[in-house]
Amino acid sequence: MITEELKKAVHIPEQIVEIVKESVINTFESISGEAPVYSDYAEPDGPLNGMIGNIAVFNPDITFSLMLAIPKETAVSLSEVFIGMELPFESDDMGDLIGEIANILAGDVAANIEQVGFRGQSSLPTATRGSDLTLFMPNKPPTVKMKFDSANGEFLLTMAMSESR
Amino acid sequence: MSTIKALVVDDSKIMRSQVKRALDQLMIAEFEYEDAMDGQDALEKFNDDIEILFVDWNMPKMTGVEFARAIRDKGYDKIPIIMVTAEKSMGKVDKALTEGGANEYITKPFTADKMLKAVSRYIDDKGQIIKEEEEQEEKKSFFSSILKS
Repeated sequence: MITEELKKAVHIPEQIVEIVKESVINTFESISGEAPVYSDYAEPDGPLNGMIGNIAVFNPDITFSLMLAIPKETAVSLSEVFIGMELPFESDDMGDLIGEIANILAGDVAANIEQVGFRGQSSLPTATRGSDLTLFMPNKPPTVKMKFDSANGEFLLTMAMSESR
Repeated sequence: MSTIKALVVDDSKIMRSQVKRALDQLMIAEFEYEDAMDGQDALEKFNDDIEILFVDWNMPKMTGVEFARAIRDKGYDKIPIIMVTAEKSMGKVDKALTEGGANEYITKPFTADKMLKAVSRYIDDKGQIIKEEEEQEEKKSFFSSILKS
């Protein structure tokens, strides 16, 4: 039922946006012990010097792509709370960690959107590291950007909704 | 104290380390670890010496549930299988426990308490694996009363 509605939707429904926002807050709170604070995303994308954790929650019809953009300082700080020591930003372990955080987020999102009738599963995560990174979606799918401030620094989540292929 | 041989299956090296660190912190047994990066790798590394399994769900090549099922299908029906995963919907939990034949289910990120709750019923006071279901139940009740008090 909800899948049919999503196929016709021009925007990501507010109900889904709220669920994802809650999942981000819950996920980061469970990692660091402190809930990040959502702030309205007003300014345009600036280039990122950091990591992007990519993952999707999908069913045969609809895919929600979740892209966590984590600045370098936030990533290093998160590594300390997650594993008890600072990881070098350039290390493979840092990519592993950011992918795992995206994985934990997707697990929470999948469980929560199931409650509104979207039964999906998570893809495997990937992580990208770099400077001057800009998220770019050529087909311009319905997209929502969220910014969060946390004790470990700020980070962004971009969520896009598209038909599964 | 004897050593328990554990196979830790996760495609994330960080998470494998987290599982091992949490188990070592419990100080209820001494563990010797074997790592596997996915279900297929775990099937290749599994042998009769392995006494307990910690298994992620979402992995390339073969999922944790498929691996758990494969182990049960080989006739290893008493070896404790602890799922350690980011999947947390009730449907997924149910699938892991029924279809996969897992004994316990821990969601990531996990605390030492969660890990203790999951493994304590399978380890006796001498730090050895409890293989009989009846003894596991007794240990579970004992630990439940301690954790509540």
